[in-house]
Amino acid sequence: MGVPGRADDHQWSQQHLSHYVEGDLRPRARRRLDRHARDCVDCGRGIRAMRALVHAVHGLAGLAGVRVPATIFDRVRPAGAGGSPSSQNA
Amino acid sequence: MPPLAGQHAHDPADTEASLLARAQAGDVSAFERLSGQYADRLFMLLLRLLGDRDEAADVAQEVMLRAWQGIARFRGQSSYFTWLYRIAVNEANRALEKRGRRPAGVPIGADELQLPTSPADDPSRQAENSELRRALGRALAELPLPLRTAIVLRDVEGFSTQEAAEIAGVSQAAFKSRLHQARLRVRAAIGDETLISTGG
Repeated sequence: MGVPGRADDHQWSQQHLSHYVEGDLRPRARRRLDRHARDCVDCGRGIRAMRALVHAVHGLAGLAGVRVPATIFDRVRPAGAGGSPSSQNA
Repeated sequence: MPPLAGQHAHDPADTEASLLARAQAGDVSAFERLSGQYADRLFMLLLRLLGDRDEAADVAQEVMLRAWQGIARFRGQSSYFTWLYRIAVNEANRALEKRGRRPAGVPIGADELQLPTSPADDPSRQAENSELRRALGRALAELPLPLRTAIVLRDVEGFSTQEAAEIAGVSQAAFKSRLHQARLRVRAAIGDETLISTGG
């Protein structure tokens, strides 16, 4: 739970954990969240969870085994046979 | 990125700028070489956004056709890759609107993609990573496309906020708002303890 008497800080901090991890908070706002998270178990855990989330999602970036089908240009070839793309409508 | 199957080896003289100039002059082969170097990554993006391999392949064809038809008007305000990605996001949006449905499956190829693992990881750790990967796939599939696009572009693909916003076709402020909403929803869906114990 949040720090007693600072429920507004707690709610605000929970809503801004992604901004915090992203580095999007202005210095004053960052200090506000730092101050709150120092004493708030939930928000301290929230920061760790948000960092872990970004790390885990980034880990999905591999391309192992994924190849585009060889047909990807099949619609371009007939269109290209007509000449310069500048003469066609997008 | 390796060339597509069946592609000829690249001529070292074929820089992106020269391929672009030739493609803009109507050389389909140059267009294929220029765009082909990004094709696998673009297909992966569509697979993540649409969650269906056949549909992603169909939309990828449409993206290439649109790019070919519009390449003469490409003025280089962004990189070619960014421009191509923006067409892909637009076409993914169009495909989902046309079909009026959510992604068909798990948008992030759960079995094809790996979380970073260490050779020292024991089987139980690998099982936890597998479960986290599936959970991430489910959580991302549940997001509305604008939020899913934001988290995929920024956190999976690793684009800067500026590039990702440009690809998504929104202001940086709007993009950040979508990204933060997406992360909050995925965090809520998976749970802090699971993320901390397996994701970090």
